[in-house]
Amino acid sequence: MRLYSLSVLYKGDAKAVLLKAAYDVSSFSFFQRSSVQEFMTFTSQLIVERSSKGSRASVKEQEYLCHVYVRNDSLAGVVIADNEYPSRVAFTLLEKVLDEFSRQVDRIDWPVGSPDTIQYAGLDGHLSRYQNPREADPMTKVQAELDETKIILHNTMESLLERGEKLDDLVSKSEVLGIQSKAFYKTARKQNSCCAIM
Amino acid sequence: MAETSEEVAVLVQRVVKDITNAFRRNPHITDRCHMHPATSKSRLYHCVERERCSRVCKMRKNQQRRLLGRKELILSGTLNPIKDLYLGKLALTKFPKSPETWIHRRWVLQQLIQETSLPSFVTKGSLGIIPAERTQQLIREEMEVCGEAAGRYPSNYNAWSHRIWVLQHLAKLDVKILLDELSSTKHWASLHVSDHSGFHYRQFLLKSLVSQTVTDGSILEQNTLRSEPAIVLPKDEEAVASAEESRINLPHLLEEEVEFSTDLIDSYPGHETLWCHRRHVFYLQHHLNGRFPHSVVQLSPADSPGGTLSDLHLIPAGPHTSQAMEVDGLSDSSKQGYSQETKRLKRTPAPDSLGLEMEHRFIDQVLSTCRNMEQARFANAYRKWLVTLSQ
Repeated sequence: MRLYSLSVLYKGDAKAVLLKAAYDVSSFSFFQRSSVQEFMTFTSQLIVERSSKGSRASVKEQEYLCHVYVRNDSLAGVVIADNEYPSRVAFTLLEKVLDEFSRQVDRIDWPVGSPDTIQYAGLDGHLSRYQNPREADPMTKVQAELDETKIILHNTMESLLERGEKLDDLVSKSEVLGIQSKAFYKTARKQNSCCAIM
Repeated sequence: MAETSEEVAVLVQRVVKDITNAFRRNPHITDRCHMHPATSKSRLYHCVERERCSRVCKMRKNQQRRLLGRKELILSGTLNPIKDLYLGKLALTKFPKSPETWIHRRWVLQQLIQETSLPSFVTKGSLGIIPAERTQQLIREEMEVCGEAAGRYPSNYNAWSHRIWVLQHLAKLDVKILLDELSSTKHWASLHVSDHSGFHYRQFLLKSLVSQTVTDGSILEQNTLRSEPAIVLPKDEEAVASAEESRINLPHLLEEEVEFSTDLIDSYPGHETLWCHRRHVFYLQHHLNGRFPHSVVQLSPADSPGGTLSDLHLIPAGPHTSQAMEVDGLSDSSKQGYSQETKRLKRTPAPDSLGLEMEHRFIDQVLSTCRNMEQARFANAYRKWLVTLSQ
């Protein structure tokens, strides 16, 4: 079971702003890593943009699960995991991270921040510690606060999109994805390979 | 992994150079394989280049000829089998599933254990017959290769089957090695809770241990698994003592595995693999308890109208040197196996009722606290299965 990325974003009116992110792409082959990272950023932003304030959701895409928590104050967190990683722990992690972030970074900086300007260093440590859910959170069996029935489950990324919207279009328009990543996506899509998104 | 991909390229090129030189020195091999040094070298370089560019390499067509070439080189003594194993290990980092690579690997290992005049097994005092240091080294290396490949691709059947094959043919199901494997793969299994092949491996280990310790102390049963003549006598005190030990630990081992299963099912709800695993362990426990309540009793044909342990399809009929994978038979029987096993269970004494009661309580506990639909479904299916056992 693995965690691949952990990101903090701000849900603006028009789009989602990436504030800080940590990645673990060590399980991907060397030459795929930068593309994978870009796709994870792209996915995290897309998910936050399509989720409403005050909601939690899990989006399934092939063998990945993206867990998102958008707070009422528009601060949002996304963790991308595999399908073995327990979602309870993922949401515990998001809660913790956003709480810590909001205490360390001024609210004023959120709408206009970027990974270069934001002063928050905790993400890498959290990501690495939570790779083993039981070490990180021994109380995972006891889930008092979180009501799992309120978590929205999406079976594909597509279900997040508006009617008529196509993922392919969003990919090609994206500013986050480099040319190589977009080309990789096109080829993977054509081959219907198991790594269409990542 | 940046550094290692460079290292990989360098080392592969060195091996390529060796192979090319070998071809040049032995033109008669070249003729038989219908391969020219230039072509084979460029093919291999092509493969290396492709690996470095990380594109999917359609090797199948060329691979058979290439592997045949390597076999020829090994048989003629020009290519050191150990080097070939290393080349295979590199290939597996890129193609962890590749069936041809695993099949070729087994061929090479067979050459290694047959070719030398040194024994693969030695007698070591109270430990009885154990694999020689050289063999142990090979086994350790194979375990590592399988472990890495298993981590690179989920439920990597080929890697785990190969691991089982190594235990059967190189380690001859040596008890200490089986126990070591059981404990060393535990952590990995706990972090790969939907890896069915990984848990099937644990089931194989437990079954092998069960089958080896349900004798009355005679090691004859164990020795049928080995091609070398056995020198340990049934009345040998030390051998009986070590068999006693394994006997005593077995219920404890199975109990530990049940606890392990409980822990995982509670922590990671909704994984069918874990429930499947629990069925296997429960079945083994029941099998053990049903026949051998508190002390080991000789298993005689009269005791078991339904069949003997060989019905569990654990032990291959004899050591084979062909490439046929006995382990395929293993997993086949476990797939279609439930109906066979339940039929057998119906003929055997009823499962220990205390064990059943505890399982039902466990299911109740899961159902009352779980919020995961899949988990509830699996728990109910497990309950139904348990009910069929006691009918």
